Amino acid sequence: MKRWMKQVGWRHAVGLLAVAFSLGPILFVLSAAFNPLGTLSSSQLMPTGLSFGNFQKLLTDTDFPKWFLNSVVIAGVASAVSVFLSALAAYAFSRRRFRGRRVGLLSLLLIQMFPQFLAVVAIFLIFGTITDYWPSIGFNTWWGIILLYLGGALGVSTWLMKGFFDTVPRELDESATVDGASHVEIFFRILLPLVAPVLAVTGLLAFISTINEFVLANIFLTDSGSKTLSVGLWGLVAAEQRNTNFGIFCAGTLLTAIPTVLVFQMLQRYIVEGLTAGAVKG
Amino acid sequence: MRLRAMGVVAAMTIPLLAAGCGGSKNDTATTDNPSAKAATGELVIWADDKRAAALKPFADKFGTENGVTVKIQAISKDQQTTFVTASQQGSGPDVMVGAHDWIGNLVQNGAIDPVQLSADQKAGIAENALKAVTFNGQTYGVPYATENIALIRNTELAPEAPATIEDLVSAGQKLKTEKKASEILSLQVGQTGDAYHLYPLYASAGGYLFGTSANGDYNAKDLGVGNPASVAAFKKIATLGEKGSGALKRSITSDNSISTFTGKKSAFLISGPWAITDIKKAGIKYDITPVPAFAGGKPATPFLGVQTFYVASKGKNKALAQEFVTNYVTTPDLAVALYNAEPRPPALTAAFDQVKGSDPDLAKWQDAGKNAIPLPAIPEMAAIWDPFGKAEAAIIGGADPAKTIEAAGKTISGSIK
Amino acid sequence: MTTQLGGPVTRALPAPDNDEPPERNTGLTGRIVKIVLLGLVVAIAIWAAFPLVANEAWIGLGILVATTAVLLWLYLTPRHIPAKYLAPGTVLLIAFQIFPVLYTASTAFTNYGDGHRGNKDEAVVAIESASVTQVPGSLQYALSVATTGNPATGPLVFLITDPVSKQVSAGDADGLKKIDDATVSSSGKVTAADGYTILNAGQASLRSKEITDLAVPVDGGAIRSSGLSRAYEGKAGRAYDKACDCVRDTTTGKTWTADESLGAFVAADGERLAQGWKVGVGFSNFTRVVTDRSISGPFLSTLVWNFAFALGSTGGTFILGMLVALALHSKKVRGRNVYRLLLVLPYAMPAFAMLLVWRDMFNTDFGLINNLFGLHVNWMGETGTARLAVLLVQLWLGYPYMFLVTTGALQAIPAELSEASRIDGAGAWQSFRRIVLPLLMVALTPLLISSFAFNFNNFNAIYLTTEGGPFPADNPMNGATDLLITYTYRLAFGGSGAQYGYAAAISIFIFMIVGVVSAIAFRRTRAQEEVYA
Repeated sequence: MKRWMKQVGWRHAVGLLAVAFSLGPILFVLSAAFNPLGTLSSSQLMPTGLSFGNFQKLLTDTDFPKWFLNSVVIAGVASAVSVFLSALAAYAFSRRRFRGRRVGLLSLLLIQMFPQFLAVVAIFLIFGTITDYWPSIGFNTWWGIILLYLGGALGVSTWLMKGFFDTVPRELDESATVDGASHVEIFFRILLPLVAPVLAVTGLLAFISTINEFVLANIFLTDSGSKTLSVGLWGLVAAEQRNTNFGIFCAGTLLTAIPTVLVFQMLQRYIVEGLTAGAVKG
Repeated sequence: MRLRAMGVVAAMTIPLLAAGCGGSKNDTATTDNPSAKAATGELVIWADDKRAAALKPFADKFGTENGVTVKIQAISKDQQTTFVTASQQGSGPDVMVGAHDWIGNLVQNGAIDPVQLSADQKAGIAENALKAVTFNGQTYGVPYATENIALIRNTELAPEAPATIEDLVSAGQKLKTEKKASEILSLQVGQTGDAYHLYPLYASAGGYLFGTSANGDYNAKDLGVGNPASVAAFKKIATLGEKGSGALKRSITSDNSISTFTGKKSAFLISGPWAITDIKKAGIKYDITPVPAFAGGKPATPFLGVQTFYVASKGKNKALAQEFVTNYVTTPDLAVALYNAEPRPPALTAAFDQVKGSDPDLAKWQDAGKNAIPLPAIPEMAAIWDPFGKAEAAIIGGADPAKTIEAAGKTISGSIK
Repeated sequence: MTTQLGGPVTRALPAPDNDEPPERNTGLTGRIVKIVLLGLVVAIAIWAAFPLVANEAWIGLGILVATTAVLLWLYLTPRHIPAKYLAPGTVLLIAFQIFPVLYTASTAFTNYGDGHRGNKDEAVVAIESASVTQVPGSLQYALSVATTGNPATGPLVFLITDPVSKQVSAGDADGLKKIDDATVSSSGKVTAADGYTILNAGQASLRSKEITDLAVPVDGGAIRSSGLSRAYEGKAGRAYDKACDCVRDTTTGKTWTADESLGAFVAADGERLAQGWKVGVGFSNFTRVVTDRSISGPFLSTLVWNFAFALGSTGGTFILGMLVALALHSKKVRGRNVYRLLLVLPYAMPAFAMLLVWRDMFNTDFGLINNLFGLHVNWMGETGTARLAVLLVQLWLGYPYMFLVTTGALQAIPAELSEASRIDGAGAWQSFRRIVLPLLMVALTPLLISSFAFNFNNFNAIYLTTEGGPFPADNPMNGATDLLITYTYRLAFGGSGAQYGYAAAISIFIFMIVGVVSAIAFRRTRAQEEVYA
């Protein structure tokens, strides 16, 4: 028993504590979502009543299903493409030595730090023009906002992946090169499979941050049918309505987590299993 | 080999090019003349989420009657800034729905046009609402609803309407000692204060924000925050604060003020018409009376807010926007529908008369707001909210009134210039 | 700009590599894929070119052609391998991140902001159209918009009915003339008139601009449209005079002269017209940042807290995330999938929603935290507790991220490595410190740096919880939990109207500080990076 405690038990203890910490506030949201009154201070940690009224209202009074679809499509496409773009760039930054490499990496980081609330003016400028010339990729379109999000594809996820690429021994590529593999083959056949867990993690993180983004989506998607979940939910609690719609808002928050959890479930296999360790290190 | 690759690319391109051309023809046509996109004109209206939903059927009706397409779009956050920025870049709407106190800023950015109402139309709009949308002698929009705060009380806990703030506090304290309620009053303050909700008390205690010039317009040069009158006013307010009677507390915020009342933790709530939906849902018997004044003080005048339709200066379809705002919004049907979506008193007298029979609250709101003064629409007002609110929160928390409000006054006058 | 659509995938193509010995012929499939994708790039470029040509946007076309040409050249020649991998993301980065940043930075040298958003012509139009009033004592007319020609293109005419005499007149830019043979509806609107085609609302709305611009000159003013069914006699109260570069009030004669350094029309008595325009102001926004005591005074303490916040958020989430990841990184722990799923939930909830929920949980009298633990702490009202609270919220929001990343990184570390060291007699802690941690850090250092950078500017974390508070009673501009970015936001947008130019100038200062710090931190990663090199 003592041995079990030392080897496994403490792991469960840490896990359970972390789960308790994580779930506390979510329980609060859960009870508010199922609370028929749906106001804030009437919500306690333990649900006081069970009612699906809030969910019902959310689905009938708002365009929630459409927001849901928009979010899943936009976040899905944008995160998939951006992981790919990021992996390409990370490969160059990790494996290739070229002039401006470190400056480039640092610049990627610094650009992310410019306050986004100031960039809104420039984004109106750019997409105002784009909407005039190519309305199919302008305001209120999936393509437009996906493009906008892809502008940030090189950034945090590039850094993340570069770090992981660095852990793959270079001897691996070198021996492949000797065997006559081109850099493209090295990238697709050797490196990408090795970093599959990282691709999965990056993909998930990109998915989550895209689905939660609302500063850009708020100005970009104004047709009620084209909104994303985060903008739509914000609209529910805007200003003085927060009291009134809190229950509906919490219901929406819970439902919003569903696609993320599903994506996580899908990717968990890659994150958890990876490839057999032996193969990784050759 | 490279040349060959190029050749193949070129060959590949030709069918794609053909396809591209085919597809592009339509695009060229549309971009040549943006308005030709639809066979008819298009009117784009921006509002917040709730009003956008209420407007939809009427916009559709206007569209079918006039053979035009009407698009309602909801801006969920930062409506005013988004409108100004989008307008400037040519991506804005033709009609904007928003509060009347935006007018000063919208005018200085050239974002809205004045509307020319006929004498009959003007006569049909409540006088104070019309005054609120008048700026520098011009009418800048058509009001459709007014709102002001009042004292809402739980008639089971407090059958009598308090005549003064002092009465209210002693009634509240009595309920508290009898354990019938846990709070004296629910008035939202929060950590950063709330100038809008505090204003009636501030006015009753003798304070003002901006003085008025001879013609009744606000005068930004005469700032009332930080002067001796405001210090005296806040000394009175401090007696209600956390170190005083505890009627005002920072823990009551915009998030929980209404639910404190609906949860019967407090018998009194100072709030606006938006609170009623919840109160009815909670099944509380209530009455609406004017915010009581301090004993021997000035009247506790609330602010009057007016929801307004604006014609955007840089809209693509201004003639149609003018038509919609001046000749369609001024009909009672739309105002009644918007009232049904959210129970705020309609600004059109005809619409008000139409709904007041079925809603006894309306007359009470109007009565509570009969002395209400329109929220100042001058751009300088934006400099007041934040410092004033924080000073309020600090004083309610126990800070020295004179020092705090004088510092706030300095900050405000510094940013007005 | 659309070339990017094809761009991403293009990257994937095997390029013939002449500079990488041994020369190798990539497979036929690879070549076909490459050709198809490049063809797609060209096709998209051509699609994008048509509207540009039609609108004679030659600069845009030039950029499009140049971008496409560079991309084709890049992928059809064997050199510049890193560029081949970087190009697709970079094209998007330039268009949607670098350009906005540079554009914003350029406004730091202007007075861009509320009241100064457009150019001078726009300001003049705004002043003139805001001054149009109905001529006192004049009438409002029923209006029908008509034309003498084709409804879509023919010259526009206003058919107006005098409400008193019921006289119908036709007006255009030349003036008003009476017509007699018109049919008038009960509301006074002309429904038919010989020689005129009445436009319906749909037709009229297509010519909106012409209708709004049409002013029919009459004595004392001009008849203008108010919508599509009413007209009024209006008069512009103010007019721009090119000769004196000033705006003149047509009744009082008062003038406001253009001041190009302020971007406003100013009268002799100092009165300024509200509608101004954007002008360059040189470095004055920057000097204002440096010289204004109310900004430079609290700057240092805000900066220190800002660093503490970013370090605390990054460090706290990393340590907790790693601890949990390590704990669950063992095949012996059952139900790891369930643990992972539950742990990732905080990250899956919309962050802004959870920030609002946390703020309510910290409420003094009604908050869950005080109620649960029987406390009466004014969390958001005291400097220390407010800072603790925001860090706790960040910890909750952020540690699942670190947990996930560390879990991913741990998979890449061969179990044999640490097991081998254990067999060598090293304890669990030592094998972690000597083997696992260094390997983890290789993978995670870049991430920690970027997480630091993100938290340094984490606007929502502060704005949606404390709004920067608590504030000292005598200074409402700078609060105890303010980050530089929330402070900037308040300085720039909290006063009377948004001041983008000023905000951009402050941002550039912050940008430089962060840039220097990041660059120093970044230098230290060089050694780690070459571990396997």
